[in-house]
Amino acid sequence: MTHYILRRLIYAVPLLILISIIVFFLISLAPGGPMAAFEENPNLTPEDIVRLEEEFGLNQPIYVRYWKWAKRIVVGDWGYSNVTHRPVLEEIGHRLPNTLQLMLVAFSITLLISIPIGLYSALHQYSLFDHVATFFAFVGQAIPIFWFGLILIIIFNVWLNNPVSPHHGFAWSHFTQCADCKPLLPGGGMAPYGVDDPTLGQRIQHMILPVTMLAMFGMGAYTRYMRGQTLEVIYQDYIRTARSKGLSERMVVMRHAFKNALAPVVTIIALDLPGLFGGALFTETIFSWPGMGRLFYRSAQRGDYPLLMGIVMINAVLIIAFNLLADLSYAYLDPRIRYD
Amino acid sequence: MSKIIRTLLVLTLLTVIIAVAGCSSSQQPAEKPAAAPTEAPSATEAAPAPTEAPTPTEAPAKPAEPTTIIYGLYQEPDVLNPFIASQYAADEVSKMVVEGLVDVDPDGNFYPVLAEEVPTIENGLVSEDGLNVTYHIKKDIVWSDGEPFTCDDVKYTWEIVTTPESGAVNTSGYDQIESITCDDPNTVQIKFKKFYAPYLTLFDSVLPKHATEGSTDMTTWDYNTTGLLGTGPFVLKDWESGDHITLVKNENYRDYPDLPKADQIIVRIIPSREVGKALITSGEIDILWDLSEADVPEFEENPDVVVNKRPGPGTERLLLNLADPTLDATDDPLNHPHPLLADLRVREAIQYGIDKQLIVDELLYGATVVGTSELSIGWAKCDIPPSEFNPDKAKELLDEAGFKDEDGDGVRECHGCKYAEEGTPLKLKIQSTSGNQLREETEQLLVEMMKNIGIEFYIENVPSSELFGSWSSGAFRKHGNFDILMYTTSDKIDPQSHMKGYFHKDSIPTEANNGKGFNYVRWINDRASEALDKAGSTPNLDERKAQYQIACEEIAHDIPHLYLYDRSEIDLTRSNIKGFKVNPWGRQTWNVEEWDKE
Repeated sequence: MTHYILRRLIYAVPLLILISIIVFFLISLAPGGPMAAFEENPNLTPEDIVRLEEEFGLNQPIYVRYWKWAKRIVVGDWGYSNVTHRPVLEEIGHRLPNTLQLMLVAFSITLLISIPIGLYSALHQYSLFDHVATFFAFVGQAIPIFWFGLILIIIFNVWLNNPVSPHHGFAWSHFTQCADCKPLLPGGGMAPYGVDDPTLGQRIQHMILPVTMLAMFGMGAYTRYMRGQTLEVIYQDYIRTARSKGLSERMVVMRHAFKNALAPVVTIIALDLPGLFGGALFTETIFSWPGMGRLFYRSAQRGDYPLLMGIVMINAVLIIAFNLLADLSYAYLDPRIRYD
Repeated sequence: MSKIIRTLLVLTLLTVIIAVAGCSSSQQPAEKPAAAPTEAPSATEAAPAPTEAPTPTEAPAKPAEPTTIIYGLYQEPDVLNPFIASQYAADEVSKMVVEGLVDVDPDGNFYPVLAEEVPTIENGLVSEDGLNVTYHIKKDIVWSDGEPFTCDDVKYTWEIVTTPESGAVNTSGYDQIESITCDDPNTVQIKFKKFYAPYLTLFDSVLPKHATEGSTDMTTWDYNTTGLLGTGPFVLKDWESGDHITLVKNENYRDYPDLPKADQIIVRIIPSREVGKALITSGEIDILWDLSEADVPEFEENPDVVVNKRPGPGTERLLLNLADPTLDATDDPLNHPHPLLADLRVREAIQYGIDKQLIVDELLYGATVVGTSELSIGWAKCDIPPSEFNPDKAKELLDEAGFKDEDGDGVRECHGCKYAEEGTPLKLKIQSTSGNQLREETEQLLVEMMKNIGIEFYIENVPSSELFGSWSSGAFRKHGNFDILMYTTSDKIDPQSHMKGYFHKDSIPTEANNGKGFNYVRWINDRASEALDKAGSTPNLDERKAQYQIACEEIAHDIPHLYLYDRSEIDLTRSNIKGFKVNPWGRQTWNVEEWDKE
């Protein structure tokens, strides 16, 4: 086992180098680049442009730039953003906690809801519950996530008012036009603005809509997974054996069916985890959430390659690590699998 | 219960713990104001139920609620230092803190900010040759940290901006200064090496010498973010990356305590304009920056929201390439003409064939006006009548130019035309930025209008980063490999660099000048070039205006650019916001000290 892990870790090194080379070159191939923001400014002379290009190191050939970047990264120097001139790690450090807060809560809620639903659906296949759950799973998958987020804002922020505000209850602010009305739920941000020390309650209020949006999307897939896996398991011989031993239905389901159905799902969870660090661009954009998705998008748009490379490399490391973890967890959960 | 369920439970618990920890770590403990709880307009918060009913005798002690205005921007500033920022949104924020010697009002006139008056030849502060400019600084101005503001700060600003390693984005104008002398702390004497027409646009921001001295590499300064320091009505309090920027009033401001009227401005970063529109409808934000004409109709009926609009300097136009598009950046467009567009009659026909008013009415909901010239507003405004919509005239011109549809496919071909080979169809590629609905709809209308006069336009849009790419990246616009481009550019309050960059014959980007200039259509017109040279060499505004008029007339005659419609500067405010005044020339926060909330 230790050998296996060691081998995997050693393989990871050339893989990471390869990833960094490919990504670095792809970024440089993309049109635009850090200079695009300056091109339209009629006050800039070509001398200014040349001077700025030098400053960003863009006047050197690409392999020279890559080599410089690689030499620094090996000793742990991630460089500075081209756009904000702040250290790359500081930029990521600002955003990562926000992203984890949103993504982990949404992910846990997704699992806590969809796994029992999937299990129940499978055990009561073709029941009314199963049909309804299947319907919503497909709806959740099919709805454009961007649109769904906007609809959430329109309903809970624009239309519905806070019942505790002067105008009570179900007031449609479009028609009632009350100046004192407060929206039922905030339409974005992480906490109320202008409040120095937001309470936990305020933070939770701000998370409701973005978490709903993310969970709606994730639940569809996990419900289907859990249902499919359970269905596969419950017709196995060992389940029949368990039943014929006279075990209670509860024992059969929880001890034998659930555990075996969960094994592949846990692997999928492990593979999904690195994605949580990357954030969710659409959700963050709609709910003005200052997370990694938007940071990544902005740096891609502005050709901010030091920051872009930083984010990509961190994600690459996470993906490799969680892949290994998924393989190990699989061996742990399923004794038939061995790595030697 | 099995192990897995327990593991799952632990995982979930861990998640919640990390999440909560993330919550608290992401929020720096900010200083608490000494007074009663700051009751900022938190949209979400239910009216806080007082835990104890206040006894009537205690009630009057409560101070008035501070006025907080929430300003929604959909771009996040990169850095706030005006000399290295490259985004409009950055100035929108920094203008509340950083001031300059003079600024521009919505009508396009300069007014004094830190200077006592705007220097002109008439008041004797500008020498006849325009080489010596004197500013008298207002008395007793201090930086927000209490240090006095003096001539040394102005001189320091010039020195830093022109230091090669400073990282300043834009040095033009500053590099034309020979010397700055400070005989007394309140008098700035600037001597130029040679006349610089837009001299008033220099020093629209001044750096604090005492707070930034040390490193000449501006990109390393704290000043760029949390250390921003100015003389303006507000000071920066905190900046939560990607989320919001808080500014509170500057108690050392020269008009304090009368101004600023608001106590606090919170800039909220709302990455999606669609969401911004929803949030101003629900009242969660008070001001929303920079909308487009198509957003106007949905708010006109809403009594809670005011649409503030004013025609801006930007004009959406077609750029008609006059040079052979198959060549790479030719420096000789006259001998290598565009086979179709180089004939003036074709360009005239295109203009006659476009119903600009229809585009304005249908796609922009009448919220703007048709385009006529490069300089549509401001002191240098050109007087050019709108073009005529006349498809019959267009067809006549095309017939005359030797383009007839003989094969009956609806598209004219060259039969005895001036530059193209016999039989070449009159087919032109139109390109703009992809993903922009207004532009796509405009293109579709243009295709229809052109079809009507026998010209085929076909659309091939590209991402804006590709369209606006640099010379060195080989961008096709710079290298002249296009037929027709469509986009907006805006002239500045002083139009010289813009006009010269786009329309002077020396501004054609070529290999020889390393891609200098914006004359992408490769238009050579001696009269216009001469007028632009003259306009750039005299401080006499009347004379300059007359020269720009000549250039505008030549453009209207030759049609290297075909103006479709003017862009408006449009911002939304909640109806209880007072003092907001759209300024098409600069930042909407130009008069932020007057902003108030009822």
